[in-house]
Amino acid sequence: MVSASRRTKRRAIAALRMLAALVLAGGIYALVSPGAQANQPGSLSAAAQEGRALFNNYCITCHGNNAQGVEGRGPSLIGAGSAAVEFQVETGRMPAASQGAQLGEKPPILKPDQARQIGQYIQELGGGPQIPFTGEQTPAEGNIAHGGELFRVNCSACHAFSAGGGALSSGKYAPSLEGSTDRQMYAAMLTGPQNMPVFGDNQLSPQEKFDIIAYVENLSSDTDSGGWGLGRFGPVTEAVAIFLFGMVVLTFAALWIAGKS
Amino acid sequence: MSDMDRFELVRRGAKQRDDVEIVHYAPQFAPGSKQEDRMVRIVSFLFIVSGLLGFIFVACYIWWPFTDFPDVTGWEYEPGNSWSKGFTPILGLTSGGALMVVGLAVLAWGKKLLPHEIVIQDRHDGASDPEERKLTGATLQFMGEEMGLKRRPLLKVSLLAPLGGLGLAALALPVGMMIKDPRHPNILFQTGWSPETNGGKLVHMVREDGVTKIRPEDISVGGQITAFPGIPGGVTNKYADSPVLLIHLRQDDADKLRASAVNYPINEGGMAGNLVAYSKICTHAGCPASLYEQQTNRLLCPCHQSQFLITDNAKPIFGPATRRLPMLPIEQDEEGFLRAKNDFNGVPVGPAFWEKPEA
Repeated sequence: MVSASRRTKRRAIAALRMLAALVLAGGIYALVSPGAQANQPGSLSAAAQEGRALFNNYCITCHGNNAQGVEGRGPSLIGAGSAAVEFQVETGRMPAASQGAQLGEKPPILKPDQARQIGQYIQELGGGPQIPFTGEQTPAEGNIAHGGELFRVNCSACHAFSAGGGALSSGKYAPSLEGSTDRQMYAAMLTGPQNMPVFGDNQLSPQEKFDIIAYVENLSSDTDSGGWGLGRFGPVTEAVAIFLFGMVVLTFAALWIAGKS
Repeated sequence: MSDMDRFELVRRGAKQRDDVEIVHYAPQFAPGSKQEDRMVRIVSFLFIVSGLLGFIFVACYIWWPFTDFPDVTGWEYEPGNSWSKGFTPILGLTSGGALMVVGLAVLAWGKKLLPHEIVIQDRHDGASDPEERKLTGATLQFMGEEMGLKRRPLLKVSLLAPLGGLGLAALALPVGMMIKDPRHPNILFQTGWSPETNGGKLVHMVREDGVTKIRPEDISVGGQITAFPGIPGGVTNKYADSPVLLIHLRQDDADKLRASAVNYPINEGGMAGNLVAYSKICTHAGCPASLYEQQTNRLLCPCHQSQFLITDNAKPIFGPATRRLPMLPIEQDEEGFLRAKNDFNGVPVGPAFWEKPEA
């Protein structure tokens, strides 16, 4: 015989089990299937919602609704990642003023924290590479000597030995790295903006990127002996400059002396 | 003898011996006048400034700090502004200034303190005096005979030796450049990727440290890496013609390249997945062509702006280069590391040479 109290107890346990199973199933569903809701503002973080509002103001004309891109105007940003967005917006390259061979650096329209908000929005939309630190400075000290080696192998072909930049094809160019922040350089290496090749973490580990950044910062922190770096191309330009300018000056000085006597 | 007498002597001498007539000779300022004193003061001031600058040069050379040592720890170069950055400029400024000021002083002296003079000298007519010509000819002949080559035949013959030897030496460079080095007959056709350099085994691709082998996943899509042959000395100048640029193309760019290989069959099957490797040595003048534009898929050479279109078998599309960059056919080994299938399909790398086969 089963007593009445034991039956009610069993029923209560069964009811609890049912409730637990329902909660678990619902929770798993909520975790596993966010896709359908991803584009709705409700599922975005607060920063991403701010970013979405900014995106709809500044970027939507070319990159389209939900950053899916507009044919002939701007590419889709799904999978671009926050690093790319932050780099493009923080350096003023985006929002672009016009189409051209290359979108150059210009005074930024949006503030860095706004850039991060848009980045967060794009990140939550489609994922992609992210900058693994939050500050403007790299979190770890870089090895300048090793960074120099890596810079000469990987970067100097386009950005020149002194990080002064150089020309590419058809009006494109590699910009000077002077004045770039740690964060911008890291983002550029990670995402390969415009025609720059991508240097993923398998090729240059985060620490190696820090090394390169330390080397570039070291270069830019230096002054030019004599006051004018001449593009920091080294002794060849310096000799050419002193030869050409010096010769012209001496010629005119000689002419002046001859004319006076 | 008074000054006047000396001037008279000079004038008469110039007239009689050199046929030069002094028609005007007068100081610019009256001797002892105020203007003359002023000029003298200016010139001596310039001389003193010049000397001072010279002393400053020496003082700076000795005492100006030319490195940051010992202000910073050890002999480490310290970027930024410091006194040592002024070392070279101050030496240049003081020595240049000293020379310039001494020049100005001499100039002012000559222009302002020396008397003005006008002299006239008649030009000679025609050739030199026949007697003088005869004399000069005889002197030259005499000197030639005194060397005694006619009487000393051994000297004459032995003189031929330096003539011949030096002539040969002068010819060695221009002629030697046209001859293929018989001791290294393969040097223009074989690079570090040839299995012959690796004991018959296929050569792996390594990074700039010479040991780290490369996997396809090391390079992001749209990325590139410089790969060296994984053999002893593969990253040294001994194999300076071997480096390749290993590029990870986007899917559609890789498809485009695969499709264009029909126009250039030697490259067919040379890609490993979407990865492709091209010689980094420009076919124009041998510079490292490694300015890769990942959107336009152009590879630029910085020396003379040659451009190669990667998606069309590295065809030269701009600049002085006329030949394609040779493709290094690559594959993955059993462990997934990349290695070269052969040595650029037998296509020589780098600039053209006479025996270079059409490719």
